[in-house]
Order: sequence, then structure tokens, then C-alpha cells
Amino acid sequence: MSAVRTRDYATVGKSVPRVDAATKVRGEAAFLDDMSLPGMLYGKVLRSRFAHARILSIDTSEAEKLPGVKAVVTGKDLPVIHGESFVDEPFLALGKVRYMGEAVAAVAAVDEVTAEAALDLIRVEYEELPALFDPQEAMKPGAPLIHEAINTYTHPPIIEPVPDSNICNHFQLVAGDVDQGFREADLIFEDTFTTPMQQHCSLETHGTIAQVDTAGKITLWTTNDSPYRCRKEVADALKIPMTHVRVIALYIGGNFGGKGGLKAEPATIALALKVRNRPVKIMFSREEEFTSSLVRHPSVSHIKTGVMKDGRIVARQVTTIWDTGAYAEKGPTVSRLSGVSAAGPYQIPNVKVDGYVVYTNKQVAGACRGYGGPQVCWAYESQMDMIAAKLGMDPLELRLKNGHNEGDIHASGQQLYSVGLKECLGKAAREIGWGQPKAGPYRGKGISFMERAIKTPFASAAFVKVNEDATIEVLSSTTEVGQGSETILCQVAAEELGVPLEWVSKAMPDTTVTPFDASTTSSRSTFHMGNAVRMAAADAKEQILQMAGEVLEASPEDLEVREGRVSVKGVPERGLGIAEVLRRRFGGQATVLGRGFFYPGDPNSAAYFSLDSAFWIYAAQAAEVEVNPKTGQVTVLKLVGAHDAGVAIHPQNCEEQIRGSLAMGLGFTLFENLQVREGKTVNPSFMDYRMPSMLDMPEVVPIVIEMAHEHGPFGAKGVGEPGLVATAPAIANAVYDAVGVRIKDLPITPDKVLAALREKAAQQKG
Amino acid sequence: MKQPITFTVNGEVHQLEVETHKTLLDTLREDLCLTGAKEGCDAGDCGVCTIILDGRAVNPCLILAVEARGKEITTIEGLAQGEQLHPLQEAFIQHGAVQCGFCSPGMILTAKALLADNPQPTAQEVKQAMAGNLCRCTGYESIVQAILGAAPQLAGR
Amino acid sequence: MRKLRKFEYAAPRSLAEAVALLREQTGETSLLAGGTDLLVTMKQGKLTPQYVIDIKDIPGLDSLTYDPQGGLRIGPLVTMQQLVTCLSVQQHFPLLSEGALATAVPQIRNRATVAGNLCNASPAADMAPPLIAAGASLKLIGPQGERMVPVEGFFTAPFATVLEEDEILAEIAVPSLPRGSGSCYQWLPKTTVVDETLVGAAVVITLDRDGACQDARIGLGSVAPTPLRARQAEEVLRGHRVVNGTVEEAARVAAGESVPRSRAEYRREMVQVMVEEALRRAVERAQQA
Repeated sequence: MSAVRTRDYATVGKSVPRVDAATKVRGEAAFLDDMSLPGMLYGKVLRSRFAHARILSIDTSEAEKLPGVKAVVTGKDLPVIHGESFVDEPFLALGKVRYMGEAVAAVAAVDEVTAEAALDLIRVEYEELPALFDPQEAMKPGAPLIHEAINTYTHPPIIEPVPDSNICNHFQLVAGDVDQGFREADLIFEDTFTTPMQQHCSLETHGTIAQVDTAGKITLWTTNDSPYRCRKEVADALKIPMTHVRVIALYIGGNFGGKGGLKAEPATIALALKVRNRPVKIMFSREEEFTSSLVRHPSVSHIKTGVMKDGRIVARQVTTIWDTGAYAEKGPTVSRLSGVSAAGPYQIPNVKVDGYVVYTNKQVAGACRGYGGPQVCWAYESQMDMIAAKLGMDPLELRLKNGHNEGDIHASGQQLYSVGLKECLGKAAREIGWGQPKAGPYRGKGISFMERAIKTPFASAAFVKVNEDATIEVLSSTTEVGQGSETILCQVAAEELGVPLEWVSKAMPDTTVTPFDASTTSSRSTFHMGNAVRMAAADAKEQILQMAGEVLEASPEDLEVREGRVSVKGVPERGLGIAEVLRRRFGGQATVLGRGFFYPGDPNSAAYFSLDSAFWIYAAQAAEVEVNPKTGQVTVLKLVGAHDAGVAIHPQNCEEQIRGSLAMGLGFTLFENLQVREGKTVNPSFMDYRMPSMLDMPEVVPIVIEMAHEHGPFGAKGVGEPGLVATAPAIANAVYDAVGVRIKDLPITPDKVLAALREKAAQQKG
Repeated sequence: MKQPITFTVNGEVHQLEVETHKTLLDTLREDLCLTGAKEGCDAGDCGVCTIILDGRAVNPCLILAVEARGKEITTIEGLAQGEQLHPLQEAFIQHGAVQCGFCSPGMILTAKALLADNPQPTAQEVKQAMAGNLCRCTGYESIVQAILGAAPQLAGR
Repeated sequence: MRKLRKFEYAAPRSLAEAVALLREQTGETSLLAGGTDLLVTMKQGKLTPQYVIDIKDIPGLDSLTYDPQGGLRIGPLVTMQQLVTCLSVQQHFPLLSEGALATAVPQIRNRATVAGNLCNASPAADMAPPLIAAGASLKLIGPQGERMVPVEGFFTAPFATVLEEDEILAEIAVPSLPRGSGSCYQWLPKTTVVDETLVGAAVVITLDRDGACQDARIGLGSVAPTPLRARQAEEVLRGHRVVNGTVEEAARVAAGESVPRSRAEYRREMVQVMVEEALRRAVERAQQA
């Protein structure tokens, strides 16, 4: 697959100034909390004091009397449940609470201080129930059920809960016969790796404004990353037609997967429905972000690998336990999508993967950049280096020997195309100086790579509307969460139409106006929505050419559009600007609306993760570290991320995505650990949960590799998510290379490194 | 309790009656409708609310509005002159240092205060000055480069 | 975390007025200087004062002066940033600049006062160990008059000090370090570079003409309920030649004097590492002086 020659394009392939950058640097870009509506009330949520308890009574009478309070709601006011993969979560607690931080009641008042004071006046009587915090305990037969009604929950067919248990999904992938493979193997490796609870930490917290009009229709302005998915979840929960729910997105201040699903929406909707005549806004505080929004799944992975003496992997069995918290949210699909790749990007004849998604009485875990990828990669790429060490093989050679090649059949049965895997690895290794002598006694280098599937099949639709003055509106429900989708989609439209980029703008997603998009997730937007926009632009262009053909008295096939001007191919003087073409037909009132719809796969398929991946994502990373033997501190000196983006529509943006995700990966590897003790979040603040600051950053080298995908718009794929999948093992492998200790539990703290160094020294003495 | 205060924001004098328990951040955002300063944590840990107060970068989430009486404040809205962006704003755009944009106003103002104090900082000095401004999107390098890129233009002014 | 609740606010114009206000108010009262600790504590609901007394309108409280005889006088409104940038402090009391830099966020340093850092009395207060090592004393002013308290005697428990309800910390007096002294503050953060201090070790060492240790003062932070002075470790050094053996022994003893609560084993080990590094650096500086 060769790279597409993007230098022949007008805007695709060029790092144009992002179309949203100016408004953002001016501080004018509107985020949810910047919005205020006339008569707006402020909502606050009362949260559970227990991790698992029955609610005996809720007395809101005192709160209702407080001057300035306009409404108080509990589950009784709106006893509905919602969910995407599993419909198991109430808008407000119904009968019991399943985690500390669960919404029990909500208040709408004239200002935040009053709303908070009202919360203090709500009396809730609880009867504590035994709580489960360890998923391995929660999985055991006989464990108390967190969801007594688990057998009755509706879910799509691919989700497989284990009846009468806390296991809301068991995913399994089998290829070949692992037992046979292990019998054949020369060496067997068995290890357990763990990852802690961590969080996205978007700087903007979750928030929603809900307004119910006189006809009972609900409008939501919300930080939700996917307006259509949000609308469906709300409409399904309330059992109302979709026309009765309108979801509008503004600029979103960071997402990383945390802003999918309903978070601030439920309580806001409940309040707005009770108040009726005034909009209600709820913004989560930073503390609520940590205790009550969404986290990354803590995980335990048992990985068993059978290897031949020459380094060939013949069998791999992975069992991952996903701690999904109190509600399923996206747990089942996180396990499924990452489970598909849990054996790693390797050609292994015998594979067995089991993923157990288990309820516990803690905050809800769900989509978080990488979607389970980081957890499984932590296991398979760490163990690879352990295997290499035992075999006395170069870790790079071991990976090249076993890694996927173009056309390989994946364990899931899918054939792999556009496989930029080894090219990524080679470039990353070269950049880190693999094989060069060490620069110091406590320095080391590590490499890792990954592949992952994306959620398939999911659809994206777009309209391209041409205004009378030939400016273009791209109507698409893809949200701009920082990833640059607004710019990229405008570039695609401009390129396809043949107009200057400045003529194109993208409307804010609004389910009444912009057509269906499954979600802004999974690194799918450039590919899916990019295709939809391209098609819509092509459709609009076709209509323009038809009109222009009439005006210029030429056949549309003989016409082209360049820089917003339609002309006869080869005869540029014989042409008109698009606005002029429009003016001369239908009195300038023609509505030119192009439509595009992209669905990757068989139209008869059942949707929702049922099909092979539309495309695969490949990336490799490398790290150089220095370990302080006295303190155990790991200083990362250099991080390299080589990512196959298909084709970079906006090269600078791709690089920036890689940089950002490496920074996040650094945090997840060394610093970040959201601690929950007996159900209580210990460190729910930026003071005590630390993401990397500017001073923590090493030298970072992003490398964009372009293996064009034939089905992507201009060959593009996606790049937003993979950036941190392989970071942790690259760093851990570098630590091993530096000082010979293997840390299997994230984060890699100085305490763990020092303890491991002591143990190693003791073993060497003994 | 309410107190009358007078302070200057972006060169404009404001006279307000503020509740003494209201933070400067909330006053700027709600009473003056200057929503460029954002709320990220309300506890001084993230820097997205950063403004310049009497020449120094501060977190207005930890300052009462009444404490700002008689002070001179610069918010992000005070940087551009109509259509003409401030060199820092231009540099952020050129260097790809803006993704979700939530941290951008705070970053730019902290950088402005730094460059006023230290017109030719090294990369390390930039990082030390910006250590209190968190960003989850960019990985920071483009921001550092943008600031180093804007410095000569500002020094020339 | 929640929004601030209502309170009465006053901005007195003299210390006497401030003390009088403290005395008068019957409800919970808090003094406001930099606000970087107070406002967070109030938003966390740990403190709900009915009265907030802002001392920033009192003239003269932001003075930072040095002279070789009198030493360094730090007024209660002097910010951490002032300690970082003041040349006299950098030159004569480098451990104080280093202590201030341990608050790595400039926005906080620009508002947070040294006095506030002490009065907040976090076990991890970064100004405490350096001021202990420097032998600083605190002037407290109340209705009864003034009293001086040595810094190491100021802290009674986590977030608690000897300050009476109607007393104000009016000045921090740091005597000039004797001739032949070197100082250093070394610390490890909890996680990221910008994080709170996990272990802080401040050292002032004074060498006589022969290079033997005439005096040593060691302040430790974040390894006990309050910042503490490692007196036993000091004894190891006092009167002896400063060689590798004594430095290591002093560091070991200092670790033994620590009583950290969380990450205890690691912290105790790090006290040893930090004290050793601080001592070496301080000795280097003493030898250069």
C-alpha cells in the first residue's frame, strides 16, 4: 500500500491553522459552562454516603422550603434506567445505591450556594449492605449480587452476561487449541499484570443544561461526546420519541472517552422536567469528576505464553478481569474490543482470550483512550521482554519474528490490510537508538508495539450545504473535543468540492439539524465521518456542476471546480464563480444539499460491534529512561511514538495527537492512581491525583507513518487513541533494561522500583 | 455581605457590588461576562483560570472578588486588539498548541506574565513558569515552542 | 468541594485593629493573607468561618529586609515568590529560596505567604524545615502583647500551632548564618515534579577553620505529624570532622527520628537519602564561603 500523494492536494495533507484555534486563543470559544440562559437555575447532586446500601427513606421537605430552591428530585420523580450496552443504571438511585458518589437526589436553585445548602438539608436513611471492592471476590459464586435483576437487563446480542452473578459480560475468543500449543512449546511463561483505576482528567468537567419547553420537549446542551448516542439513551430511558429530545454540542474541553454515556444529563433532565419553566444547569465539580463520572477500568491480566526455543510463539492464553464499577456502561465492549487484540499484534496459531467484566461497588469504569488497549498491551508487551530475556534474544528481533504482516489472518478470523506495524516498530527503534551502547549505568531503552480494532459497524452521515454566497456548511454530528475534527472535516469538504478552506465551516452538532453519527470515539471520525463528508461534498459538487452545465452550456463531465470557480477543463476563462452559478439559476435560491452516508460493511449486519474492524490501528513506541538507584525514581528521557495514520490529512494535528497521548501514557505509567478505600475515593483532586505537568515531560518524538487505507477518505485512518496503548510497557521494558527489575503493577512508583532493587540485591547475595 | 469594589479589567474600570464570598473567577465570568478564564478545579491546582493581577499570574479561583479592589487585571479578552491577535495568540495557532482550547487562555496569560518578566527565557525557564498550567491534550511541547517563538516579537515591542 | 459560604469580611488597617477584631468576634474567624490554603480549606468544608479578616491592607507587613547584624526579617505578607527572587535571600539563605521553590506552581507562589505556609501547619509545609534549620523565630502578637517562639516549637499537630485564637504571626526573624555556614534544602515530591513534598530535608552546617562541624541544624518535613528538628542527627555531626562516615551516620539517625504515616518505609529511606544530599551540598557551600 503506497502513500497517497497529498502534496497534489489543495488542503488535504497540509497543516493549515486549525479553524477553531483563533476563537479558542481569544477565549471566545463557547464551552458548556460559558453558556447561560434566561431564568437558568443551578443544579447540584446529592451523592451516596455508602458504597452499597438500600435506601430506606429520603426526606426532602426541609430542602424544598429553603428560599431560592425551585425543585428537589429523587428517583421517585423519574424512575427510569439507561445504558448503552446494558440498560442497568438509574437516572437517580432507585431503592439502593451501588457506589459512593452515586446520585441520590438533586436540587435546582437560583444559585450554586443555595443549591449546595439545600443538599445539606436532605435526609437519607440507608441500610448498609455488604460491599464488594475486589472484582476477583465479586466474581466468586455466592458473592452478594450488586445487580439483583441482572438476568432481566436488556442488552444487544453480542453482550453475554453470566446469569445470577456480578459478571456483566464474558467475552471469549478462541483460535486453534491452546492446550495443544502449550504441550508443543519448549518454554511456558505465566505472569500476572495489573493496572489501577485512572482517569481521563479532561480540564473541562462534565456538564449539561436541560430545558423543557411548553410542549414537553427536552433540549440538552451537553458535554457529551456523541449527541445521537446521547439522544437515543435519553429517549429510550424516558420512552419518548426521538423528536422530543434535542441534543446540542458546543466545543468540548477534552474527552478521551470520558464524556460518552449519560453523566450530568440524568439529574439535569429530572430537575428540568420538574421545574418545567426554567432551564437547569449542572456542572460537575472536579471532585465529582473523580468520584462520580467515569474512570478507566482497573484490570488484572493473567497471561500464559508458550514459546519455542527459536522464539516462535505457539500459544497464548489471556484472562483479563475488568473492574467495571457499579454499572456496566461500556465495560462489556471495552473488554470485547480489547479482547480481540489481547494476544498482541502477533501471528500466533493457538489463542484463547477470556475477558470478564465484573461489577464492584465503586465508580463506573468505561471508555478511556485506548478502550482497554493499554491494559492488555501492558500484559502482552511486558511479557514479551521477559520472554526475550529468558531466550537471550533481542526484544526487537523477537517482535519482528512474530509480528503481523500484511495479509495475515488475525485470531479473530479477519484478514489484515494496511498493516503499518513493523514499519512503526522499525522507525521507533531507530529513533530511540536501539542497539547503541548505553549512555550510563542506570540507563535503559524499551520498545513495544500494538494493534487494535475499532468499533464496527457504526455509521456516520453528513450533509454539505452550499449557501447562496457559495460558503459551505458541513452539517455533521462529530463533536470537536480537541482532536481537530472540525478542521479535518472542513479540509475534506473543501478538497472534494474544490473551494478554498476559508469558505467552509462546520456547524455545531445538533440532532435536529445534523444527521446521524454513531459517536465521536474509537478513532473513527476521520475515517467514517471523513468518508461521509467527502461523499456529501461530492454530491453537492455534482449538483453544482449540473447547474453550472446549464449556465455555461457545457456537459457537467467537462467541468471542474478549482478555488471555488467552475470552469471547463482546460479552458479556465470559460467559467464562473460558484456564487455566480447559483445566482443564475432559480433566482439564486437553489438549495444545494449534498448527502453522504458511510457504513463499513454489510448493510444487513446487526450493527453494534458485530463485524470485523473497518480498519486496524498500528503503533509502536520506544522509551529511554534513567533510574536513580538511591531513590528508585524513573526519569523518562525520551519517548517515541510511531503511528500509522493511513494518510495524514493534517500532519501537524496527527503529531500533536501523538504528543498528547504520550503525555497521558507517561502519566498512567508513572504517576496516576485513583485510590478507592472501602468505597471512598481517597484522592479526588488534582492536588492528590497528579497528571503530568510541563516539567515532567521528556523529549518526545512523534512519527507519523502513512500506509494509506483504500477505504479511508484520501487514504486516512485514525490516530487519536492508540497513542498511549503501548507507552507503559515501553517504559517498563526500559526500566528492566536499565536496572534489571520488572514491575508488573502500574503505576511504576519509586517505592516499587526501590523495593525491587533491594529484592534483586538480596537474591544475588543469597 | 456585599461590598462595593472598583477594579480595572483590560484597561476598563469597573465598579461593582460583590458578595464577599464570591471568588474573583466567578465574578469575572458571571458579573463581567468574561468567560475566557475557565473553571477546571476551583482549587488552584490546574491553572486554567489563570489571569494577570498587577503583573503577576494568579489563580482567581483562590482570590475573593473583594481582594481585587484597586487592582489591575488582564484577562484573555484583553490581549487581541480587534482583529489583530497578540503575538502569543498567533504563535499558539501557528505551532499547533491549541487542541480543546480549555487551557489556552490560562496558558497564554501565564506566558505573557513570564515574558514581561523574562523576555528571553530558555525552554527550561518557560517550563518552570508554566508548571502550574495543566494540559491534557497537547503534551506541552507545542506550547513551549509557541512561547519561545513569540518571545522575540514581544521583546521587540 | 463546594462554593464558599457566606461570611462577614473585614480589612483592618493595623495589626492592633486586626488583633482587636480577632478578640471581638465570637464566631469562627479566619485570617486571610494569600488565601491559597484558606480558600481551599473553606471549599472543602473543613473550615466554615463566620468572619474573614483580610490583613493585606495593613501597611508594612510585606517588608523583607536583610542586614548582616539583624539577619533576615520576613513580614507576614511576604510571598513565597519574594523569597525566590530576593537576591539577599538567594545569597545568604539559599535554603529559603529552595524551600519556596518546592512550591512549584508560580501562580500559588505569587499569592502564598511564608507566614501563611507556617500557620497552615501542614506536616508537609515547605517553609518549615528550612526555617527550622536556619534557627528562625516567630513573633506572635496578641492582646497580651508580643512573644517569640522558635519555629520548631510552633507546630503542635497536623494543621495546628501554638497560636492563640486572638494572636497573629507578625514577623519571621532569621538570624544571619554564622561565618563558615552552608545551607541546602533537598526534597522529593510525592509523584510529579509539581506535587506536594514527600520528604523534605533542610540543613544548615557551620564549619570551623579546620573544617570540623561547629554546628548543624537539620529540619525535616512531611515525615512526622509536624515538621521536626532532627536533634539526634545534629549531635552526630556537632564537634566532629565532616567525613563520609559522619554524613552517612547523621542521615541514618535522621531517618530514625522520622515517624512517617503513609509510604512509611520508603519515606524513612528517603529521609536518609535527602539528608545525605542536603548535607553534602551544604558542606560544599560552607567550604566555598
